[in-house]
Amino acid sequence: MVDTIILLAAVLVFPGGLFVLALGLGLKGVDRRIAARLQRRVGPPLLQPFFDLVKLAGKRTLVPEDACAPVFLGAPLVGVVAMMVAAALIPIQGVYTPSPILGDLLVLFYLMVVPAVVLMVAGSSSGSPYGAIGFSREMTMMLSYEVPIVLVVVAVALRTGMGQGDGITFSLTEIVHYQQIHGAFLLDPAMWPAFLAFLAFLPANLGIAPFDIPEAETEVLEGPLLEYSGPALGLFKAMAAIKTVVVLSLGICLFLPNAPDGLAGLAVQILKLLVVMTIGMTLLRVSLGRMRIDQGFAFFLKLPMALSIAGLAAAALV
Amino acid sequence: MSTYTIPVGPLHVALEEPMYFKVEVSGETVVSVDITAGHVHRGVEYLLSKRTIFQNITLTERICSLCSNSHPEAYCMAIEQIAGVVVSPRGEYLRAVADEIKRIASHLFNVGIMAHLIGFESLFMHAMEIREIMQDVKETVFGNRMDIGANCIGGVRYDLDDDQRSWLLGQLDRLEPQIDELVGIYTTNRSILNRTQGIGVLSPAEAIEYAVAGPVARASGVAYDVRVKSPYTAYDKLTVEVPTRTAGDVWSRAMIRLSEVKISIGLLRRLIEDLPDGPTAPAERPEIPAGEAIAKCEAPRGELIYYVRTNGTNKPERVKWRVPSFMNWDALCTMLKGARISDIALIVNSIDPCISCTER
Repeated sequence: MVDTIILLAAVLVFPGGLFVLALGLGLKGVDRRIAARLQRRVGPPLLQPFFDLVKLAGKRTLVPEDACAPVFLGAPLVGVVAMMVAAALIPIQGVYTPSPILGDLLVLFYLMVVPAVVLMVAGSSSGSPYGAIGFSREMTMMLSYEVPIVLVVVAVALRTGMGQGDGITFSLTEIVHYQQIHGAFLLDPAMWPAFLAFLAFLPANLGIAPFDIPEAETEVLEGPLLEYSGPALGLFKAMAAIKTVVVLSLGICLFLPNAPDGLAGLAVQILKLLVVMTIGMTLLRVSLGRMRIDQGFAFFLKLPMALSIAGLAAAALV
Repeated sequence: MSTYTIPVGPLHVALEEPMYFKVEVSGETVVSVDITAGHVHRGVEYLLSKRTIFQNITLTERICSLCSNSHPEAYCMAIEQIAGVVVSPRGEYLRAVADEIKRIASHLFNVGIMAHLIGFESLFMHAMEIREIMQDVKETVFGNRMDIGANCIGGVRYDLDDDQRSWLLGQLDRLEPQIDELVGIYTTNRSILNRTQGIGVLSPAEAIEYAVAGPVARASGVAYDVRVKSPYTAYDKLTVEVPTRTAGDVWSRAMIRLSEVKISIGLLRRLIEDLPDGPTAPAERPEIPAGEAIAKCEAPRGELIYYVRTNGTNKPERVKWRVPSFMNWDALCTMLKGARISDIALIVNSIDPCISCTER
């Protein structure tokens, strides 16, 4: 019983649920502010993502006539729940260790695919041709970035496992623990190719320029999200906010989890999130235009693919 | 692979104005395009025949915001032909000044929007920031940011004193290095080149067949510019360089616009420095006899032709104009064929369509 309550609290309050939602929206606010300053604009208030969500919550959700209503409305819910669970799976060094019952890196991996799948389902169930284009683009992008990121994760798992002398480990807790003792993988030159491949994966998975292809506003009118309004759209925004934190935290976990215990550890975690977001997302999106879907696909088949294979080889051999 | 239809417009974030493209696509490739127009028809031609010849200058200015100087200019030139009014040298120079200022602002707006369509928001903001210099110039000299109200029959309604002239030259000095920087970005940035080169191609032969005008024609190798072919106002006293490119793609059109901005800066310097003395407009309104005339000028988007017929009363009997976008948007069917969905907006924007001019 107590275990169940602890698990529920982990998923719904901390570090999943409310905490990760607030953190994600806060990060989004900072991201928009930094981007605005880089473009010599004033930018929105830091709390603007919260205001947007509150406003959307108070509006009506319109279901298009051609849409399949249960799927159309269910998709964002599934996405948010999956992301909340995913957030509860990622350890924060010195602050939070996920219960082994929730699952390991492989479960997290499946959960991280859910937002893309949910967007595809949403796009195809909305009955809009733009949704359908968004669907096909989302799928193409997923196919292109999924292989490199699997290789990156395997590289990290292999490095940890070999370091511990038992082959390969998919436990995030152990990966974090290993780095806390032996030093971060970010400082290990053998892991740099894998890290670079992860940096390429980041914008593709989060839908940020130059890979904001499936939701490109000026091309396909936000694609899958086109027909969404009100609370359902709000759920998608919440999903995106949580996903940002999940993906960034996974990166921190895999490459630089080292932190002190207690509240200081939490502060360090948030600081790392801010730094990774600014470098990996904000700077990227203000300095680049969007790629075409074929260009994006070709890009991932070349550089990140090569980097991730090199990363795996380096992790195993060096 | 089966095809399906996607609607682009009539209201679409990527289009500045309402226009409806029924695009038949197969996968991500466009098979055919059907253009439906008429969403912003306001009956301006009819309205023109209900107002007096002098009121119409104000009305023609409001046909469109980006070419808001070219419409009244061509209209006034047609009326001047009918009335036999000769514009003073100073008036002619000032007309050309207004023309070039509007051209710079319009071209910068278009290349900025191109960056926006690629999703390159920083470059879009940067181009708009540079354009702001020209907007400030318009506000300072004419008192308005878009509808500058420069023309009247027989001359212009504004004058430049020595202070304004030196201030204007200062603003041009401020503008020029920033334009150079922008040209550099548009020539070297991979984001721009990857997305705009080789798409929406219109070959020189097709350009002639469609009789496209303005930067669209010049990007396809047709060196046609009204300022050179039949000089009006002060352009016969200047050497206007006509840049051309042969690739005929979206990128070439943007580069043509940027080159024209550079040339316009040079023209403005000459115009301001050589500004002759004299009156800017006749003291009294001329009598307008019965007659008909055609006048044309080079609007930012290309050749703008006005036909005016008067019958001796104070209202024109018929005013009719042909805008460059009318010729250019037909060529879109060729440019869009075989394009990808992601490039539709970019190609449409590359002809710098002015829907409100065309549908009036």
